[in-house]
Amino acid sequence: MKTYDIVVIGAGSVGVPLAYRLAVRGLRVLVVDKLSSVGQGQNKAAIGGIRATHSDRAKIKVGNASLDVVRRLLPEYGQDVDYIEGGYLFPAYSEEIAQGLKNLLPLQKSFGLNINWIGPDEVKDRCPGILAEGLLGGTFSPEDGHLSSLKMIGAFHRLACQAGVDFLFNTEVVGFDLEKGKIQAVLTDKGKINCSHVVNAAGAYGREISLMVGADLPVYPDSHEAGVTEPVKRFFLPMLVDIAPDAQSDNYYFYQNAEEQIVFCITPRPKRMGTDRRSTSEFLPMVIPRMLNLYPRLRNLKVRRVWRGLYPMTPDGKPIVGFDQEVDGFFHAIGMCGQGLMLGPGLADMIALAIAEGQEDEEVFADLSPYRDFSGEELLK
Amino acid sequence: MRITKHPVLDIQEGKRVSFTFDGQPLVGKEGEMVSSALFANGIRTFSIHAVGDAPQGLFCANGQCAQCTVIIDGLPVKSCITPLKEGMEIKTLVHHPELPADDQWRPSQPPEELSCQVLIVGAGPSGITSAVELADLGFSVILVDDKNHLGGKLVLQTHKFFGSMADCYAGTRGTDIGKILEDEARSRENITIMTSSTVVGIYSDGKAGIYQDRLEKYVHVSFEGLIVATGARERSLVFPGNDLPGVFGAGAFQTLVNRDLVKSSDRVLIVGCGNVGLIGAYHALQAGIEVVGLLDIAPAVTGYKVHADKIKRMGVPIYLNHTLIGVKGDGKVEQATIAQVDENWNPLVETAKTFAVDTVLIAVGLSSADEFYASGIEGGFPVLKTGDANEIAEASSAMMGGRIIGREMAGLLGSDVTIPPEWSEKAEILKSHPGEVFERSFELLGKGWKPIIHCHQEIPCNPCTSVCPQDSIHLSDRTGTIMDLPEFSGKCIGCGFCVLICPGLAITLARRVKDEGLAELVLPHEFEHDYEPGDTVHLRGLEGVDLGEGIVKAARYNKKHRTSLITLEVPIELATEAVGILVQDEEITKPLDEADFTYLPDNAIVCRCERVTVGEIKEFVRENDVTDINQLKLPRLAMGACGGKTCLDLVPRVLMQAGVAREEIHPATHRPLTVEVPMKALANLGGGHE
Repeated sequence: MKTYDIVVIGAGSVGVPLAYRLAVRGLRVLVVDKLSSVGQGQNKAAIGGIRATHSDRAKIKVGNASLDVVRRLLPEYGQDVDYIEGGYLFPAYSEEIAQGLKNLLPLQKSFGLNINWIGPDEVKDRCPGILAEGLLGGTFSPEDGHLSSLKMIGAFHRLACQAGVDFLFNTEVVGFDLEKGKIQAVLTDKGKINCSHVVNAAGAYGREISLMVGADLPVYPDSHEAGVTEPVKRFFLPMLVDIAPDAQSDNYYFYQNAEEQIVFCITPRPKRMGTDRRSTSEFLPMVIPRMLNLYPRLRNLKVRRVWRGLYPMTPDGKPIVGFDQEVDGFFHAIGMCGQGLMLGPGLADMIALAIAEGQEDEEVFADLSPYRDFSGEELLK
Repeated sequence: MRITKHPVLDIQEGKRVSFTFDGQPLVGKEGEMVSSALFANGIRTFSIHAVGDAPQGLFCANGQCAQCTVIIDGLPVKSCITPLKEGMEIKTLVHHPELPADDQWRPSQPPEELSCQVLIVGAGPSGITSAVELADLGFSVILVDDKNHLGGKLVLQTHKFFGSMADCYAGTRGTDIGKILEDEARSRENITIMTSSTVVGIYSDGKAGIYQDRLEKYVHVSFEGLIVATGARERSLVFPGNDLPGVFGAGAFQTLVNRDLVKSSDRVLIVGCGNVGLIGAYHALQAGIEVVGLLDIAPAVTGYKVHADKIKRMGVPIYLNHTLIGVKGDGKVEQATIAQVDENWNPLVETAKTFAVDTVLIAVGLSSADEFYASGIEGGFPVLKTGDANEIAEASSAMMGGRIIGREMAGLLGSDVTIPPEWSEKAEILKSHPGEVFERSFELLGKGWKPIIHCHQEIPCNPCTSVCPQDSIHLSDRTGTIMDLPEFSGKCIGCGFCVLICPGLAITLARRVKDEGLAELVLPHEFEHDYEPGDTVHLRGLEGVDLGEGIVKAARYNKKHRTSLITLEVPIELATEAVGILVQDEEITKPLDEADFTYLPDNAIVCRCERVTVGEIKEFVRENDVTDINQLKLPRLAMGACGGKTCLDLVPRVLMQAGVAREEIHPATHRPLTVEVPMKALANLGGGHE
């Protein structure tokens, strides 16, 4: 088998853009995945939102970097990923929610985010037909948007192939060859692959891979179900996020994609831990009434398909990114907390720079370090 | 156009209602499906696709594909499952529809929660028989079907059934068997029947999600065991022009013609010489629709020989080793071109023949609709599949198979039941493919009537042996099963029961008459006719050879069998040779003087919903390393309303043509929902009515 400089484990939202960035820096890169093609893990389950509007320094920085990459994909790389800069809109129907959203604004603005409180009329203008009764307004961040996860991974796959990245599918990593604490090879069910570096970008299965080099990192997947409707003529642009909880669920969110279909998702309560990706009977009766309460005209829209994806969660809601301190040549890029799609392109640049040039963005790498204190809590999930 | 007379089906007048299509006032029958009302008014283009402004029309007529979507009273709906009402405003759907600004809030309700021991999805022949079996063993059953009637596709099958009379109502028409089975199911108290109810998902938590379109409701059913009796889907075919309105499945054709008595077409070409295609041709002729021919890429007819022979006698040619190389027309089917194939199935374009037709029927076989079985396995529930969902075969074997599966499910749920070994043997025999063909010759010796049994191929069928009042017809004992050929020995009183019952129309009666050199011949005839004594008819031999003319002596109509017995005077040497009467003028079947086509196979559509072509898939495969069908979702294959029901069956072959090895192809992931469901139903807003 060929020898590589670096083997990326996981052909998903993080691994594929990263492989591309590593290859353009002149490294010989192989991507290994246990599934049959790119994006068959959680990438295809991602509903497509991409934002910089987080409540944390590192994620805001990575999110901005991702948006920057995404905006350049079409004009500079000729890759159309159906990006629409429709903004994120968090409507409020109670004083409590309104106040909660408003309280976050100073922090978000301090990181340079373009986000503002808008009144009910502007909410209604941006989302014609949204429930008017009790609408107090909401926060709106116009520079966020949404894209097709399928097209995004397809674009980076194409770019990666053009840059000389090899892909090996239907291949499961079973261990590593180390010599004096340094990576020598990746062991797979199909044989051994010699390399000097490994990036663990295995998403929901990232904890198992890191454990193979003795690193026990707190990544525990929970699952969310999502769905998509038939297409109808465009009637709104933003990602609508309703953060008011009800008895069975926390937030839910939906938007109209470039194909003019509505894509939607909900956060159930309690969390559904584990890696089960089979659809349940609970999802549609949980999410649809909430969507119709917020946006009554959706009642005539038909749901086409549902699915379930995994959110590889960390205790503080932030990814785990950085070199392993015990095993030389092993890099962790896991725990994306369901945001691999929106963080992946930005992280890819930063990780490639760290591996190829030894340059790390200190703030980001400190905040996302595998060795950080995980006790903090994310404000805006 | 509507069918105003039919040899087998009763014409129901129905209440006339007015509606409009794109503003034009039209009249239809109340309660008939909107698609049929549109066809009856000559409208075959239902929508304009956003990709390439392509016209789209009816395709499956079975509520599965969404190609028939139109705008009714402001909302996009599938016309093939929407009953026509007075005053409906129907419009062509152009590109994506507009969501009405209907902003009044309404309260939602959680789904009603039902439960049963066994949920049976599909109330066709196998679903009903398994339901009855389980009910008789004391199980509580919920039997769900997406249609508003029971019996599945039996309602389309106007022909008499093969099989055995004792086990599966052989000799009875499918439409009548459907009613018998429905009565069986309805007479069991512990069977709850849910019609117009589509199972849209079998979820991992042991519940089925059921969409009731008429009631605009969404219901959950919890179950211990699951039987999947969802039948099959018609396979499609990849050829340029396969997306034009006027190309549809034989099932859709049977639905229009046999169920709704709509004359869907003036002239058809049929692709596929299995039983479905052969019977489709017969049904077309019975409905007064011209058939220019049938073709099959195979070197032999794959359906029953009796069916093929019958079609040939009617005057319809069968082209074997032929393929369809293109269909064209201005927004609808106007011409179809066929060509012979070489040993690698590549068309020899120099042999092309073009026919002027308005319809191309695709009857190239069925594929099991068994996704819920996979869901059941994935969920870890006791799950079994039966009928076509398990294995494609005749409805006769589905009825037997359903009983067996009913008992097997009882066993899985802890009942102490046995399955009689003869059931399994019968089920196996009933699903047999046609067997060996034997040469037979007949002589007309002595006086008196004699049945001439033109049955040359072993098929699972025996009604003629059951109806003979003299018990003079028996099966040969070559195999010892109902596959054996029937033989006559003993006395014949000329009652004609065997002639009337034979599903293959392969039995005639003959006797010598006093006049030297002449004989009387009685033929079965399932067509509208006005034969009078003295009329001449064109006689055809077993496989359609022209035998000249015969003179009608009498014509008797048997109401029970809906079949005429035509008594003819024929030359004695024809008494054992003539089997049928020509019904279609040979001029109809002639191709155009010159073939008219451009062969552009890459233009063929694979995914109809999203209009993905062969060429686009090949290009994507060239540019990307493709082995996983999921990758083709990027060019939007299987991303449309139907969820890949047609294209996922076609795409492996396209991938192989593009150079992907068969063993490397990874199948697409299947996800609910089976059909699209409006949010108002999912939230039970309460807008529907019976």
